[in-house]
Amino acid sequence: MKTKKIKKWLEDFYLVIILLFLYAPIFTMMVLSFNNSKSRTQWGGFTVKWYGQMFESSSIMDALYYTLIIAFLSALIASIIGTVAAIGINRMKKLPRTITIGLNNIPMLNSEIVTGISLMLVFIAFGISLGFKTILLAHITFNIPYVVLNVMPKLKQTDYSAYEAAQDLGATPLQAFFKVVFPDIFPGILSGFLMAFTMSLDDFIITHFTRGAGINTLSTLIYSEVRRGIQPSMYALSTVIFITVLVLLLITNFAPENQTGIPASKAEAAMKKRRRNNNIRKGILALAAFTIVASVSFATYKKYASSHSNELYVYNWGEYIDPEVIELFEEETGIHVTYDMFETNEEMYPVIEAGAVQYDVVCPSDYMIQKMAENGLLAEINFDNIPNISNIDETFMEQSRSFDPQNRYSVPYTWGTVGILYNTKIIEERGLPVPTRWSDLWNPAYAGEILMQDSVRDAFMVALKSLGYSMNTVDETELTQARDLLIQQKPLVQAYVIDQVRDKMIGGEAAIGVIYSGEMLFIQEEVKNLGLDYSLEYVIPEEGTNLWLDSWVIPSNARNKENAEKWINFLCRPDIAKMNFDYITYSTPNKAAKALLDEDIQNNKAIFPDTDKLVNCEVFQYLGDEADTLYNELWKEVKSN
Amino acid sequence: MNQPLIDLVNISKSFDGDIVLDDLNLSVQENTFVTLLGPSGCGKTTTLRIIGGFERPDKGSVIFSGNDITKLPPNKRQLNTVFQKYALFPHMNIAENIAFGLKIKGKSKSYIQDKIKYALKLVNLDGFENRSIDSLSGGQQQRIAIARAIVNEPKLLLLDEPLGALDLKLRQDMQYELIRLKNELGITFIYVTHDQEEALTMSDTIVVMNQGYIQQMGSPEQIYNEPENAFVADFIGESNIVNGIMVRDELVEIFGAKFPCVDKGFGQNVPVDVVIRPEDIDLLQPGEGSLDGIVTHLIFKGVHYEMEVTTPDGFEWLVHSTDMFPVGQKVSIHVDPFDIQIMNKPESEDEEALGVNE
Repeated sequence: MKTKKIKKWLEDFYLVIILLFLYAPIFTMMVLSFNNSKSRTQWGGFTVKWYGQMFESSSIMDALYYTLIIAFLSALIASIIGTVAAIGINRMKKLPRTITIGLNNIPMLNSEIVTGISLMLVFIAFGISLGFKTILLAHITFNIPYVVLNVMPKLKQTDYSAYEAAQDLGATPLQAFFKVVFPDIFPGILSGFLMAFTMSLDDFIITHFTRGAGINTLSTLIYSEVRRGIQPSMYALSTVIFITVLVLLLITNFAPENQTGIPASKAEAAMKKRRRNNNIRKGILALAAFTIVASVSFATYKKYASSHSNELYVYNWGEYIDPEVIELFEEETGIHVTYDMFETNEEMYPVIEAGAVQYDVVCPSDYMIQKMAENGLLAEINFDNIPNISNIDETFMEQSRSFDPQNRYSVPYTWGTVGILYNTKIIEERGLPVPTRWSDLWNPAYAGEILMQDSVRDAFMVALKSLGYSMNTVDETELTQARDLLIQQKPLVQAYVIDQVRDKMIGGEAAIGVIYSGEMLFIQEEVKNLGLDYSLEYVIPEEGTNLWLDSWVIPSNARNKENAEKWINFLCRPDIAKMNFDYITYSTPNKAAKALLDEDIQNNKAIFPDTDKLVNCEVFQYLGDEADTLYNELWKEVKSN
Repeated sequence: MNQPLIDLVNISKSFDGDIVLDDLNLSVQENTFVTLLGPSGCGKTTTLRIIGGFERPDKGSVIFSGNDITKLPPNKRQLNTVFQKYALFPHMNIAENIAFGLKIKGKSKSYIQDKIKYALKLVNLDGFENRSIDSLSGGQQQRIAIARAIVNEPKLLLLDEPLGALDLKLRQDMQYELIRLKNELGITFIYVTHDQEEALTMSDTIVVMNQGYIQQMGSPEQIYNEPENAFVADFIGESNIVNGIMVRDELVEIFGAKFPCVDKGFGQNVPVDVVIRPEDIDLLQPGEGSLDGIVTHLIFKGVHYEMEVTTPDGFEWLVHSTDMFPVGQKVSIHVDPFDIQIMNKPESEDEEALGVNE
């Protein structure tokens, strides 16, 4: 008896653990989608505003549209091709059939990344520019095997003589197929279609490689938001998707199954019941199909395809512009903007280099601009077309010269610094000194309270600057010293992190951390919104720091260079620059725009530090492959020590 | 003689180099019940499929009521097929199955309704219109398959081992049913089977086939009583086929014993095959018959006893008799002259296959 009880308890425990592991993450995400705060660790009250934001966001709705339309079309076309293929394969002789089925199965087992890259290569090799149609083609390609897989067993079950019997009774081969074979294999085709639809809906990797300018599916959109931290509206979207799938699943599962255990004498009644149940099942399948069609047409209704002669292809970081600015630009100039996003400089570079997508204007960071210019990927900007350049503070034109020596290729868009963020309360309570220098990060008093950046150049920047060296040094002795310093610091460091500095500091988990200034406004507002009893202050260390710049450049293969210049000029307009600042809250180099801001923001030293503070600052430079390797090796030694 | 309903002229067919039919000729008269009989792989089903239009012959032509239909697709032929596995349409109910051919031809609703009723009555399944296929037994499904074929009023009905999947009792019932149907409808049946008993029961004419050739064609009685070669004799019923020497007309020597017979014209002292049916052997007291032996096996079969009698040369004779002789009993074999069937020995492998198909 006792062992039975234990066994039962173990079973329940096992079940609970499984459910916990499977559903806890989803549940967390759903809860966060109703969190009034953007923070991932603090509950800021209940809200549905992220849902509102989701429906208002044109980028999300566009991505939803493309996701659904691609899933629907690719599943539909794959169903047709796959069914025809399955019929062909089924009529083959044994050996060729085995070989063909094997060939059909390989793409399903093949690593997605291989499929994605090879498809991209094929498209580029045959001069098909990446875009909607390439994603569609790719999805059709990887969907066909799933349809074949689903239709084959149904075809095998189908009595071939039924097809012959239909012809024998006067049907043409086509009539015989549609009246007799098709209804028989239809469940297989439908499940193939649904499977293909789901696979397409889910796909990230292949879409990522085959997509082009201005087109995102939900998966690539969510991924592109990683840089600024995923927006809570994405949690809202994921929640909606999860609930939809759940409901569909529940409907299908609760559809009455064929009942068993009915007395044989009531065979007639049982049969009627079975027929009715069959009808219900048919109805549910139809409902599922209808839901798909309806959502696709809803999405289509929201979107209409139109051709534009006056085009501009923009390639920017995710969440790095006020969408209204794009609309305004289109209204004022009549130029149709195709807007596309990247996540890292390193991801953007090969896209421009390959020329698979011809963007007209791109927004890379400092060192990357240098690399692109050196490799001849950039066109000189005609500054006659950009009179608004006069609004840009001369300081930043000067800073730009470290990577663009004659100010020929780039126009600054946003900038920021790296500094130390500290928690006033913890500092005060523990009687710790207020940090002012990088070398304070080596003060044993802060032991266990320091958050360091977990990226090689940022970490070395801190060490090199505190030693008084250039953060762009390639001198091995200087770098070795920096390495030793970083190793020496390790016992004091609470954690090496990137994004989480923000949340950890808001949550009061550490006293000081190295952070990018770009999110200071958000952090300060969040502290206010949450009603925390401490404030987080930002300081630019006296030794100087990394001053980063993201600037607009025009690739040398741009097709609409003049439009690109109009775009840059437009963004340099004070009112527009202000709009963007309000939206993305990264410091603007536009002095005229800054003048339009509220006094207290203008005076916020975290966002607009005094220019004299920037004296010792440097901009990251591209150091070449050799130096890159050296940096990485030294960093590895730090991390593994 | 009337013009034949169907005429197969010099039909040859091979699959992947395997010859299935070789220069086959066959005429079928109207309103007859013809059975193609043979072991599996003999080409009988292929012959049927060529008539039905599901296979194209490599050579030769199919003449239907005087018209060459060799290249006509199945849906254009005035004949219908009942398939081995019934081939009913599972997603349609019984009425829809039966109406399939008529709907395709665009017949009126009332006509179709009448036809369904008539056909169901004909196969003794009145009132089954709205039942689903999987609620029927095998025999019922087969009747529906037949009903579905005959509502189209074909001149010729092809049946491909239609009773193969049924159990013995049901099979026998359906055999009578088919004979009745054929008589009521007055159409021609071409029936394929490997079951010789079925063939003997139902057919007007039996065509025995082997290895793509017709071995013998004739009435059931002819086929049974006067097999033209060892294959037919062996395939139709049970028989003792022994080597003999035709001493002269009307006398054959088997294992040294002389048997009077009624066959003539084989010459003198010519080796021949001798066929004797087991039920034609009479067992007498030793010395009273033509050849002595010992009973070595005895089985009770119901209507008769089946015995094996071993003669001194070692040959085991199969004997059916209502009289019982225990194992070990010495007996003597006697055969009436008209029960002995003499056949020429095949001269080569080819000859064996070709048989007497001249």
